[in-house]
Amino acid sequence: MAKLTKKQKRKIKRAAGSTVNLLFKLFVSVLFLFPFYWMVTTSFKPYLETLKFPPTLWPQDFTFEGYIHVFQELDILSYIKNTLIVTGTVIVIQLFVNVPAAYAFAKWKFKGQGLMWGIVMTGFMIPGQLTFMTVYFMFADWGILRTLWPQIIPTCASAFSIFLLRQNFKQIPEELVESAKLDGSSEWKILWRLMVPMSKATMVTTILFSFINHWNAYFWPLVMTRDESLKPITLAIERLKNLEQGLNYTDIMAGNVILVLPLVILFLLASKKIIQAMAYRGMK
Amino acid sequence: MGEIVLKNINKTFGNTKVLENLNLKINDGEFAVLVGASGCGKTTLLRIIAGIGPATSGELYIDGEEVSDLAPGKRNIAMVFQNYAIYPNMTVKGNIEFGLKNNHVPKAERERLIAEVAESVGLTEYLKRKPNALSGGQRQRVALARAMVKNPKVFLMDEPLSNLDAKLRVAMRSELIELHNKLKTTFVYVTHDQVEAMSMADTIILMNKGVIQQQASPEEIYDDPNNIFTAQFIGTPSMNVLPLKNDCHVGYRPEKVVLTTEEKQKPEAVYREKARIVTREMLGSETLYKVLITSGDHQNQTVMVKSLEDAFKEEQNVWVNVTQENLYFFDHKELRIRETDRAEAYAACVKCLKGEEP
Repeated sequence: MAKLTKKQKRKIKRAAGSTVNLLFKLFVSVLFLFPFYWMVTTSFKPYLETLKFPPTLWPQDFTFEGYIHVFQELDILSYIKNTLIVTGTVIVIQLFVNVPAAYAFAKWKFKGQGLMWGIVMTGFMIPGQLTFMTVYFMFADWGILRTLWPQIIPTCASAFSIFLLRQNFKQIPEELVESAKLDGSSEWKILWRLMVPMSKATMVTTILFSFINHWNAYFWPLVMTRDESLKPITLAIERLKNLEQGLNYTDIMAGNVILVLPLVILFLLASKKIIQAMAYRGMK
Repeated sequence: MGEIVLKNINKTFGNTKVLENLNLKINDGEFAVLVGASGCGKTTLLRIIAGIGPATSGELYIDGEEVSDLAPGKRNIAMVFQNYAIYPNMTVKGNIEFGLKNNHVPKAERERLIAEVAESVGLTEYLKRKPNALSGGQRQRVALARAMVKNPKVFLMDEPLSNLDAKLRVAMRSELIELHNKLKTTFVYVTHDQVEAMSMADTIILMNKGVIQQQASPEEIYDDPNNIFTAQFIGTPSMNVLPLKNDCHVGYRPEKVVLTTEEKQKPEAVYREKARIVTREMLGSETLYKVLITSGDHQNQTVMVKSLEDAFKEEQNVWVNVTQENLYFFDHKELRIRETDRAEAYAACVKCLKGEEP
């Protein structure tokens, strides 16, 4: 065999490198996508096929049974309504809490700023599992356990959103704020006419994260709700496990598809903005 | 109507005093240029006038009215920032309109003003564009239009040309002068570039370490500097300043030196030293020489010489000649000794220079 020249060797090396890179990406993609694939295909399989061994990768008998069951067994729309009310209210309240807070932390200087920022960040790090008991008793005292408020109030401020927005506001040049002040603009106007429109990507991202968090909320509503009429869709889907004897995977997976579908659609629509928010580029 | 008076202004950042007991008056309609090296406090001073970086203590009057505690938007001033500070989320029109809307100018009036100002800076066809679709020069115009449309008493400008390329900068310079002539409003312009200051200003306010060194017209500040700092800051290359035996200094501008090949060619020169050309830079219309003095008290010191003729070569031996009216003397505190008000000290310096005992 003829000896390879240096140039050829380098070419082979580079080709090998990019192949490994590609294979790794493929592997990770499969790792993440396969559960989704499994969920969707299973939801279209008849009950008996879900128990088959070896399992089938694609439904042999295509059926909508699962979906029909879910709508028959559960009053799914009322659960979705609960989730939507909670999620929507939280997002609206969060806008009026997180955005001004982030602006103050980013652009103002005030006494105790460091301490307050520390408190916000600490709140970020304490899991709900530590606090739910005391919060539950507090809400019991307030007498609001039979409303949706216990699912709304604790998340009216989001430390994560404040953090993300603050980082974004900090990158906006001080001169723009000063210029707006010279143009006779109030702080409120600077915030909503300049800061927020300039942070569209981050705004979309924080709203989306809030949406995902509340759409998927499981633990908090589980401990905060007793009435069936107040439960969100996540708890309803969980009930599918107990409706029949033995696990009916077709129904469970169909329920999960209903649960996840809005999120996937939203994410696909906003993915560009999310990437932008994480890698902010200012106008030069 | 835009006279600016600053009285006993102090400004500290933490423990650092940036401005101490500063007093300044800028006349109505004047094109005043604040010039100095970076960190000298010129931008701080501008921000105090704008109200976006208020003074620690002191009083500020615009048009005879105390405005020290007035919000920036209520001072009837406009500012052009170094990076233009154009709102990137608004169109050109939105940018110009923002200030008017905040001041509740009626819509019809707004439209008229915007059309007028856009026409005068040549932005009419760009009104619907977003700033990121504009060139540097066009963004500069948006910033100017935004300032002009408010019809302010005072224009503040913080190095507005420093982000433009050299050619555009020169063009914008003369446009700004024209604009000032047209508007006849007070301009306060901050720059570190002495050429910009010299070419645009009615009055130059030269600052160093938070202290005003001299406030005068460009001609006066060039011909009659108050101290060594001023003398050396204005003019390129800067003034040659050399020590004298009596703790004083003598200075002369590179362009006032006459180089000769023989000693007695310039009999009226008071300052005359043997020298050798070290380097020569031919700049086209003029030539710059770096010259090493080889005789007298200033032996082994180098000075710069700017000459209209390109008659000398490197390593050539020459004579450096300066006449008395082109010599400047400074005392041990680096302050100017003028013949008119300190005749005795002046005479002593001349004698010292001639080698006569004082």
